Amino acid sequence: MKWDFTSVFANTDALLAGAAGTLRIFAICLVLGLSLGLVVGLGRYARTWWFYLPATAFVEFFRNTPVLVQILWFYFALPMLLPFEISPLMAASLGISLNSAAFSAEIYRAGIQSIDRGQWDGARALGMRWAQAMRRIVLPQAIKRMLPALTNRAIEIFKMTTLASAVAYVELLQQGKLIASLNYNPIEAYTAVAVIFLVFLWPLVQFTYVLERRLKRDE
Amino acid sequence: MAYQWDFTPVLANAPLLAQGLLNTLKVTGTSLVFGLALGLALALLRLSSRRTFAWPAGLVIEVFRTTPPLVQLFWFFFALPLLVGIEMTAFMAAVVTFSIQSAAFFAEVFRGGIVSIERGQWDGARAIGMNHGQALRRIVLPQAVKRMIPAFMERAIELMKTTTLVATISYADLLFAANEIAQKTFRPLETFTVAALIYFVVIFAFSLVARQFERRLAVSGESTVR
Repeated sequence: MKWDFTSVFANTDALLAGAAGTLRIFAICLVLGLSLGLVVGLGRYARTWWFYLPATAFVEFFRNTPVLVQILWFYFALPMLLPFEISPLMAASLGISLNSAAFSAEIYRAGIQSIDRGQWDGARALGMRWAQAMRRIVLPQAIKRMLPALTNRAIEIFKMTTLASAVAYVELLQQGKLIASLNYNPIEAYTAVAVIFLVFLWPLVQFTYVLERRLKRDE
Repeated sequence: MAYQWDFTPVLANAPLLAQGLLNTLKVTGTSLVFGLALGLALALLRLSSRRTFAWPAGLVIEVFRTTPPLVQLFWFFFALPLLVGIEMTAFMAAVVTFSIQSAAFFAEVFRGGIVSIERGQWDGARAIGMNHGQALRRIVLPQAVKRMIPAFMERAIELMKTTTLVATISYADLLFAANEIAQKTFRPLETFTVAALIYFVVIFAFSLVARQFERRLAVSGESTVR
């Protein structure tokens, strides 16, 4: 068996389109997942049952089912209840974003819980309301502690975007499949896709190691 | 117009779903066994003081933690068989992929656990005449494994969720069975909802057991590793 990457390089355009698709869905899911996760995380920390219970049910459900099942549910099952079609991008973004929201909610909750009660009391003593204390005093301190875990989540989201290929959304792995089937070169096509993911993710992973080490040293 | 739910077509195909769940558990269990053994080996290699061992082990761990599992699965299913000239069933590809992938994660858990045991335990074992392997097997690992249990269980749960990816290479796991039934009965809403609920029940049960373990370890004052 001889490796021959010429047929892969001949399809650089297709891979670039795939990379653009990967980055697009990654950006959507990162923003939606992490911001919705903050809302849910606050709910998990709340003392009022009407906020706590739905947030907890959401977290348990989305953490304890596979994300691919969620994506396929949004793609094949949800349209039965809706008067419109769901695009592959919508289905995959919904699945990955909601799943990431559930996981990041627990990161936010743990981060908020790790902040000393005295900080709350101090903020109250200065006359701040709960929301003010949360926004100005607690969250800024908690975010620093959450940073490594949140970066890890971002990496997980990036890896999860490959699942969008299961509903034929055009991203890197989907393009790899296409190239492999058109050129009969699965070895080179899939190796190229794996290498591209490594190039994207390796620096991010190393960055989280630095963050983790720095946090350990500071605390 | 409100949608008319009808679960009878799904219930009529219950045996198919049950077989799918069984296959999901089969892939999970097999990969777990190989993943744990390989993970321990990788951890020990990475902890080795010889760079010729530590460096390749570290590379394997990092590559498999960094690349998406679905890309790995496609590589092992579509590329590897051509590369080495063997036949590869979907089940084999899944077990190979998920064993190595989870081994990479297990290796870091093992390493964290072994490193968390204080030096004095090694010194004590040496002092009563044990060699490195004996000290590891009889003194360090038994203590370390206890601290690793919650992280192991969490990883096992992740593994079970990851096995759904085999449906994309047509192995008849629970998700694949659901997809078949949905296409056959034109009832995707009911079928995928039932499949999601089955996954939830099984995985949530495992999660509760894992949390119970973690709490008990915390009560006994045992520190745990991530």
